[in-house]
Amino acid sequence: MFVVLRVLPGDPAKMLLPEGAPQSAVDELNRHLGLREPLHVQYAIFIRSVFRGDFGQSFQYRAPALRVVTERLAATAQLALAAMFLTGAVGVSLGIVAAVRRGTRYDVASTLFAVLGQSLPNFWLGIMLILLFGVALRWLPTSGFESWRHLILPAVTLAAFPTALVARLTRSSMLEILGRDYIRTGRAKGLAERAVVLRHALRNAAVPVLTVLGLQVGTLLGGAVITESVFAWPGMGKLVVDAIFFRDFPVVQTVLIFSATIFVLINLLVDLLYTVIDPRIRYS
Amino acid sequence: MRRRSAASHSVGRRRFLTLSAAGLVAAGLPRAARAQGKRSGELVAGLSERMLTLDPANHYSISSTSVHRHMFDPLVDVTNDSKFVPALAESWRAVNNTTWRFTLRKGVTFHDGTPFNADSALFTLRRVKDNTKLIKSFVYQDIESVEKDGDYSVVVTSNRPFGSLPAHLTMLGMLPPHAAKNEEAFFQKPIGTGPFRFTSWTHGDHIVLAANPTYWKPGVPRVEKVTFRFIPELSTRAAGLRAGEIHVVDRVTPDLVETLKSSRGVKVFDVPAVEAQRWIFQLAKEPVKDQRLRQAISLAIDRNVIIKDLLLGYGRPVDSPVPPGLIGHTSLPAKPYDPERARQILKQAGYTNVSIDFVLMKDLYPKQLEITQAVAAMLGEVGIKVNIKNLEIATAREHRSAGTYDMFFSGWAHMPHDPDWYFGQWFTRAGSEKLTRYNNPRVEQLIAEGRVPDPKVRQAKYEELERILWDEEPEIWPYYSVAIYGVSDRVRNFEPRRDYYVLLSDVAIV
Repeated sequence: MFVVLRVLPGDPAKMLLPEGAPQSAVDELNRHLGLREPLHVQYAIFIRSVFRGDFGQSFQYRAPALRVVTERLAATAQLALAAMFLTGAVGVSLGIVAAVRRGTRYDVASTLFAVLGQSLPNFWLGIMLILLFGVALRWLPTSGFESWRHLILPAVTLAAFPTALVARLTRSSMLEILGRDYIRTGRAKGLAERAVVLRHALRNAAVPVLTVLGLQVGTLLGGAVITESVFAWPGMGKLVVDAIFFRDFPVVQTVLIFSATIFVLINLLVDLLYTVIDPRIRYS
Repeated sequence: MRRRSAASHSVGRRRFLTLSAAGLVAAGLPRAARAQGKRSGELVAGLSERMLTLDPANHYSISSTSVHRHMFDPLVDVTNDSKFVPALAESWRAVNNTTWRFTLRKGVTFHDGTPFNADSALFTLRRVKDNTKLIKSFVYQDIESVEKDGDYSVVVTSNRPFGSLPAHLTMLGMLPPHAAKNEEAFFQKPIGTGPFRFTSWTHGDHIVLAANPTYWKPGVPRVEKVTFRFIPELSTRAAGLRAGEIHVVDRVTPDLVETLKSSRGVKVFDVPAVEAQRWIFQLAKEPVKDQRLRQAISLAIDRNVIIKDLLLGYGRPVDSPVPPGLIGHTSLPAKPYDPERARQILKQAGYTNVSIDFVLMKDLYPKQLEITQAVAAMLGEVGIKVNIKNLEIATAREHRSAGTYDMFFSGWAHMPHDPDWYFGQWFTRAGSEKLTRYNNPRVEQLIAEGRVPDPKVRQAKYEELERILWDEEPEIWPYYSVAIYGVSDRVRNFEPRRDYYVLLSDVAIV
């Protein structure tokens, strides 16, 4: 990535300076940014610094890249976790209802929701939610990063797609489990339906759902560019896109290191959770 | 919507009386408050660009300049009609062609009580000149020395005439000398002499400023608090305005104007900007290095259609490379639309099957792709094929530096309200070396001669220079941009700025 960024066409100093800056100013600024050194020297400096916890100075912000990224991390984490909570709660519930009431209007409604959730573009959905709940009804703020009320619309927008995904997955997974013999046995011995569904069926259906949820959390923590743009949410997604755009190498590198680490950690956590949910899974 | 308006129509008798009484009290309040010079209320502005730094010398961002202007005062201010007026400098004069003398305002203090004096001006100017890491530094490299003459006078000498210095100084906020102790810490919580004091900054989201009760200008500011929110997405910014959360938004595009105008409580202001759109030619490259071809291209473009149909009237016909109001502007005959003449020129010059690359910086200017497509169709009519290359900004700029383009969609906002920067950058050999490769010794000479402080000399030199450019057509100036703002009808005294700034010091809210 270090090399890819640097071989991309485009000059960081030119992006920082205004259109009318002379070439001498461009060269001078590139010197200050350390970009006049040979590539291998730049890489050696970068690696040495990272091990000291120094991720370099952001070209755009003129501040430590680590600080720039961590400032945005809180906003990203808030949004991602809220969206994941909605995904888990709404997606799984819808999936269960659709599976248990298979073929009824609940199932149809849930399927319709899933189709809409997966097909509506985030951008459009976000704007529509803003126009409805922000402009027309004035129930919620249109954008910004201040209170929990500001979080609702972006979280719903961001959650739409994964919720639909999880609902569909939960439904098919539950349907498969509900057809198993041990479920019939459970019902035959007089277990309450609630216990059959929630305790026996859901627990077994949860493994593939959890995998998908884990992948989604990892992705969302890397930033949700479109939702962040629509709601002017100061998260990492927009930060990294702007940083690529402005050739702010230290910020791009720092975000990538962060997102990759988070992604791996979350997936490790999911793998560990498997053992809790399904004792048959053991890592030796 | 319907529900709310129905509710507002069904007002009972008791409620009517209560509302009327409240209304009478409210109507009396602003007048009384004004009479006492009291400030009240809070303004929220939605800006299109995120502010990256609080250091006024380290950016050329228009949004950041808007914010900084509330915290920091420059030496010189500029009015909307491009007149330079006193700010922290009470007066200034050119001692000779390379020396400016600024007399500073007395009795001004920074927000922490530090007095503003020649040391502050000295520190700010020397810092921007000497610290070449700063983005604005390159503009001040001609300065030779900055010296004080007493506590309230500063003399700036340059190694060549620097007539545009007062204009550039409108963009440089004055700093207290103690900022030097720890600049990083200072710019986390900066101190200026401006009408507002820094309160807090949530990076990437918003900045809050509180009124400076001891501001040197009487009656300013008129509100207690100003919040600038950074909302790059226009539809979101506009939604905030329509929802009543935001009072002013900048950079409204023509196609959103009608929506805003039809929204309750929202007004739209527009003003011709100090920005000329320009489609530059690569002058070292065949075939556009040929003036005849450039002339044919110019004749084949119907600028009025672009302004009327694509920009919905939110563009102004161009009569000079420099927008009206700026020094040097001279009104020249409008460029005609004459496709027949264009065809003749092409035929006479022996051009058949001409194909040119038109490079765009993706999503940078409103409607640029539609406009380019329209231009491609117009040029197609006279037999010129246009390949549109809509490239990511950094990549497009690389093409421009390398000279691998024929036409390039660009614009120039004359931010310090002075054309010297534009001319020096684009029409001198050194300036245009990695851009258009423009080279005309007479023009270069006029630019050098136009750098003197005497406005009469500058006007004369620039008029001659503009005439040459008008004939040569090294670029096409299709239209002057229009700055459009959406403003709440609760806002009073808002001035739509030609330089895209959102300035709220003298703005009130009811």
